[in-house]
Amino acid sequence: MHGIHDIGGMHGIGPIAPEENEPVFHEEWEGRAFGLFGATYVFAGYTVDEFRHAIEHIEPAHYLESSYYEHWLFAFEALLIKRGIVTREELDARVALLRKEAE
Amino acid sequence: MLLTADIVPVVLATGATARVNKRVAPRFRVGDRVRVRNHNPLTHTRLPGYLRGKRGIVETDYGVFAFPDTHAHGLGDKAQHCYSVRFTAREVWGATASERDTLRVDVFDDYLDLD
Repeated sequence: MHGIHDIGGMHGIGPIAPEENEPVFHEEWEGRAFGLFGATYVFAGYTVDEFRHAIEHIEPAHYLESSYYEHWLFAFEALLIKRGIVTREELDARVALLRKEAE
Repeated sequence: MLLTADIVPVVLATGATARVNKRVAPRFRVGDRVRVRNHNPLTHTRLPGYLRGKRGIVETDYGVFAFPDTHAHGLGDKAQHCYSVRFTAREVWGATASERDTLRVDVFDDYLDLD
């Protein structure tokens, strides 16, 4: 799939700026997203290739604006919905609840 | 299957390897001149678009791995060799690239033809 993820060699995106003393995770939730990979990989039974392909389906503008672990989160949601383990409605309801709690 | 605490170390140590323990004949040898196929599927591939049609030289044979293009779609591992192929920067990026630079890319057997 020749999508926005296949960015190698593209011009005009600016230099790569490595962060000094970069932490393993920038936010606590990123660590949990990392843990979710092992859990969902075993539980939902997908391959790392199917996981990567799920990430390739992120809408191009959103792909560029979102972080590495947001891409993972998108793939978890897509694959768990695909397997019928959760529904889109359940996910939306959970997000709405968390949003309400945060307010 | 659930990821329980006792199997976490095993999964972390081995869970992500794509190496396949099968005997498959390589179609290429180290030193072979190869040309990347114009492989551009709508489905998953690990071939970077910038390599399509480019010529390079096989530098290392890593052994046998699951083929991502089929593995991503539940079509089996289609086990095959994966190679490090060396390309000149000029070949890949054109005349404005450095004359001295080269790049090495991991390329699956199915992406290549003999040049």
